[in-house]
Amino acid sequence: MNAALRLSVSSLRSHKRRFAGTFFAVLLGVAFLAGTLVMGDTLRAGFDTMFGNATKGTDAVVRSADTITTPGQSQGVRAPVGTDLVRTIERTPGVAAAAPDIQGAGQLIGSDGKPIGGQGPPTLAGNWIDDPLLNAYRLAEGRAPVKSGEVVVNRGTAEKGHLKIGDTTVLRTPDPVRVTIVGLATFGGEDGMAQVTFTGMTQADAEKYLTAKPGEAASIRVRAGPGVGQQELVSDLTPVLPEGVEAITGQESAQENTDMVSSQFLTIFTTLLLVFSGIALLVATFSIHNTFAIVVAQRTRENALLRALGASRRQVTASTLAEASVVAVTASAVGLAGGIGIAAGLQALFPAIGFPFPEGDLVISALSLLLPLGVGIVVCLGSALLPAARAGRTAPLAALRETAVDESGASRGRAVVGGGLAALALGVTLTGVLLTPSLWLAGLGAVLALAAFVVLGPVASTTVVRVLGAPLGKLRGVTGGLARRNALRSPKRTAATAGALMIGVTVVSLFTVFGASLKATMDQTVSRSFAGDVAVSTPSFGAGGSGLSPKLAPAIAGQPTVEYAVGLGKGVAEVNGKGRALTVTDPVTLGKVFDLGDVQGSLSGLGSDGIAITRTEAAKQHLATGDTARLTFTDGRKTNFTVRAVYGQSELAGDYVITRAAWAPHRTQDSDTVVAVSFKDGVSTAQGKAAVEKVAERYGSPEVQTRDEYAQSSAGGIDMMLTLVYALLALAVLIALLGIANTLTLAIHERTRELGLLRAVGQTRAQLRAMVRWESVLVAAFGTAGGLALGAFLGWVLVEASGGASDSAFAFAIPPLRLVVVALVGLAAGALAGLRPARRAARLDVLRAIATE
Amino acid sequence: MTATTARKDAARVAGAVKVYGSGDTAVRALDGVSVGFPAGRFTAIMGPSGSGKSTLMHCAAGLDTLTSGTAYIGDTELGTLDDRRLTLLRRDRIGFVFQAFNLIPTLTVAENIALPMDLAGTKGSREWTDALVDVVGLRDRLHHRPSELSGGQQQRVAVARAFAGQPDVVFADEPTGNLDSRSGEEVLNLLGRAVRQMDRTVVMVTHDPVAAAHADEVVFLADGRLVDRMENPTADKVLDRMKAFDGKGAPV
Repeated sequence: MNAALRLSVSSLRSHKRRFAGTFFAVLLGVAFLAGTLVMGDTLRAGFDTMFGNATKGTDAVVRSADTITTPGQSQGVRAPVGTDLVRTIERTPGVAAAAPDIQGAGQLIGSDGKPIGGQGPPTLAGNWIDDPLLNAYRLAEGRAPVKSGEVVVNRGTAEKGHLKIGDTTVLRTPDPVRVTIVGLATFGGEDGMAQVTFTGMTQADAEKYLTAKPGEAASIRVRAGPGVGQQELVSDLTPVLPEGVEAITGQESAQENTDMVSSQFLTIFTTLLLVFSGIALLVATFSIHNTFAIVVAQRTRENALLRALGASRRQVTASTLAEASVVAVTASAVGLAGGIGIAAGLQALFPAIGFPFPEGDLVISALSLLLPLGVGIVVCLGSALLPAARAGRTAPLAALRETAVDESGASRGRAVVGGGLAALALGVTLTGVLLTPSLWLAGLGAVLALAAFVVLGPVASTTVVRVLGAPLGKLRGVTGGLARRNALRSPKRTAATAGALMIGVTVVSLFTVFGASLKATMDQTVSRSFAGDVAVSTPSFGAGGSGLSPKLAPAIAGQPTVEYAVGLGKGVAEVNGKGRALTVTDPVTLGKVFDLGDVQGSLSGLGSDGIAITRTEAAKQHLATGDTARLTFTDGRKTNFTVRAVYGQSELAGDYVITRAAWAPHRTQDSDTVVAVSFKDGVSTAQGKAAVEKVAERYGSPEVQTRDEYAQSSAGGIDMMLTLVYALLALAVLIALLGIANTLTLAIHERTRELGLLRAVGQTRAQLRAMVRWESVLVAAFGTAGGLALGAFLGWVLVEASGGASDSAFAFAIPPLRLVVVALVGLAAGALAGLRPARRAARLDVLRAIATE
Repeated sequence: MTATTARKDAARVAGAVKVYGSGDTAVRALDGVSVGFPAGRFTAIMGPSGSGKSTLMHCAAGLDTLTSGTAYIGDTELGTLDDRRLTLLRRDRIGFVFQAFNLIPTLTVAENIALPMDLAGTKGSREWTDALVDVVGLRDRLHHRPSELSGGQQQRVAVARAFAGQPDVVFADEPTGNLDSRSGEEVLNLLGRAVRQMDRTVVMVTHDPVAAAHADEVVFLADGRLVDRMENPTADKVLDRMKAFDGKGAPV
């Protein structure tokens, strides 16, 4: 082992360049993984501290005990509690102070007239609690609101909207309220609670604009008197609270808030990052394996000499593995340090771009140290395992033979195994997609398809490179021809090099195709079920935005150009024990502006005790027209509703429809998500739209969109998501790039004499560089072509499987322009990867290259 | 120097000095050599190992640059050319045959022969190439890869490649060094025929008196200096001359 280790260390020292690519591939993957873990932990701890600080003065929170959670919503909806309870609580022994906490949606308009926030994090409004210990926000500048129309906003929001103390602006609640900023506040020492915007108004204003009726609050915050513990306070409070109302400690409440942020934001965020570091490491595996395979092949003579001199098979294997270990350990360690550096850098960078990263030290857990280190070492050693075994098998006689170019790879066995895998993948996928729709089967098929591509790579590379490179010989003459031949030289190597890029491109095109299909699905949905001319909505995404005033729809309906206008509000209730979202609207007009498909029964007679249901939900809940459904509202009241209509299509109208009259007794802060409008005959879209916009101006200027615009904006979130995914995949592409560059460098080293000969007989430096670059582009083209094909196929699988698993139809769409861009980026990556090796090759000393041995 | 013939020199060097390294480790590989290689002649450069014969060839052929002195191909002085011009000059006006590794393994025999012309983007003369292929006797191997040929065949392809572009001069660096004597004889005959029947110019570096005997003239180098020239050499005469170098340096 000593001899083996000595050999590998000296070999590493003399061939540093060869391992540079491997080193960076491991380093980048590990750094990304470590950075993700450390950042996740740090953020989580930061939010913990922030909520802890913000609610330090709150010893107990009194709130309604029941929540109704609808599918797809992580946070339930709670009924309000009466503010009259505050007086009862204040009289309870052990209580120092109590204040109602009224909360609702409220979106501020910035100085440029555009709404602030709304793209994800909530936009909140509430009452400004005067007791500074109970208020989660602290007044940083100015004063608390005392008069109606005065507000305090958190500093982050004010900065984003370029608002300052003394400014007057509009708060959409959703009815526009003119407010004057009198103070700026901080949350737990930060400019805000992450990106959440907060506007604090007087209690009277809050009750007026944010609740359905005065005297209601989301919860009541309670502070304990001296010497009373939080637990003790809760025990004291519990007996005085009415049924359906509970008290929890301030600590529990802070924990709930942290968990909420974790589950809604952090977990998704870190999981996404982890998935992408996984992809990056997978790509790295290809590059590393390839490097070791080439190095071992190049060292055949050296290893054979060792074997001839009496080194055992194990010693040769061990020396290669030892080399891999040294690279693995160093690269992983450096990567780990780099990852921690990245996290620290982000912590410093985030506040600079307006994202308040909670303060505090970096949290580096044992897991975030050991996992990346372990993964890096395992990936690197695992990749070197096969090449090392091959090194050990080197026959001593190989020292005497001229090393031939490795042209294996296109073997029959490989073709048979690969073909079998491909057939199996296709079978499993098609079964999972078409026969018995199942995401699991489709996923298994996808993995098999990837494996088939990898196995078949060397078989396919010969044909594909020949075809892709065919125009090259004609266009670029002998330079292109030579590049093509070089790319064809070792099918296995070409395939492995391209494989790394292929995975990257596969994932990119998979997301691209899936995103385009989602958009097409939205488009289809809108064009199929939206029969109106324009839609009014507040462009928002996630939990942000304040919705539309319920008064807007009637106001628009009153216009002479408008035939129908219907607002869609949201409600929740348990229907026969299951939490469901309700659409609160005027069902008759709804049927006019939206195409509800085939309607059984009548939408006109729902009244205050009737409900309309989609066919799919009706089947699931075993309900038919005439049946009775029991609805439990957030206020705890249970009412029997009669199913009066069953309709076919649900995409825009929702699964359950009730009238405003039926919802009124249970309503909270009223708002519509969208108002759909259809014009009278003969009214042009432009003319009608202008009229609607004029009305909308009085209600905070929400956006008025034509059908196409509405369909497009419904899909807006998809583009945002895609951009993020592309950014993250850049890392995988970068690693693949390193792999291509590394393989080329090794190949050039191998072909030194050949290149020297070419230069001697008259190849100019420029021609040599072009030759290497074109080879790189060809390899990249092979990877890109494979990735596009596989990505498009997997995209189709994902779309079909998702469509099969849900009850609404999914449209499959291939975005040609975007895929062309992906292809061009792949080729450009190849050209880029070839730059350095090409320069190195061109610097080659002709004499040294051709000097006889 | 001495041989001022009626013929023009296809290549020549004047006062050629080549120093490798510097200071204490400096080696004077060429120490003031002036020699011309007349057009239409087959010249052999001979000398013991380390005499500077390969260096002389490399510098004369534009593969290496002189420390001082001048090198000409025809009337073109090589020292004034940059790397690109030198490369183009090698491509268009010089042919090469090396000791080994003469062919690009990914190209067929035909493509290897046409390589300098292809690099230049020109077609060359079809008849000339055709005639060459017949002279080297490789018509049935044109579409084979180098790895499918014997060493002798490979070297004959290299010879064909060297003459394909009708260059001013062909430099051959130990072209028979890796061949058995029969294959070597074939290659040398080819070079000789190219000069005598096709009016080409060949400069060959060799340490083998039998190979040198194929030349019209032999120039002898020792310790970086030109020490002798011999017209119409035979293997025995060359061997005798070489023996004189052994032991006592360079008796002129």
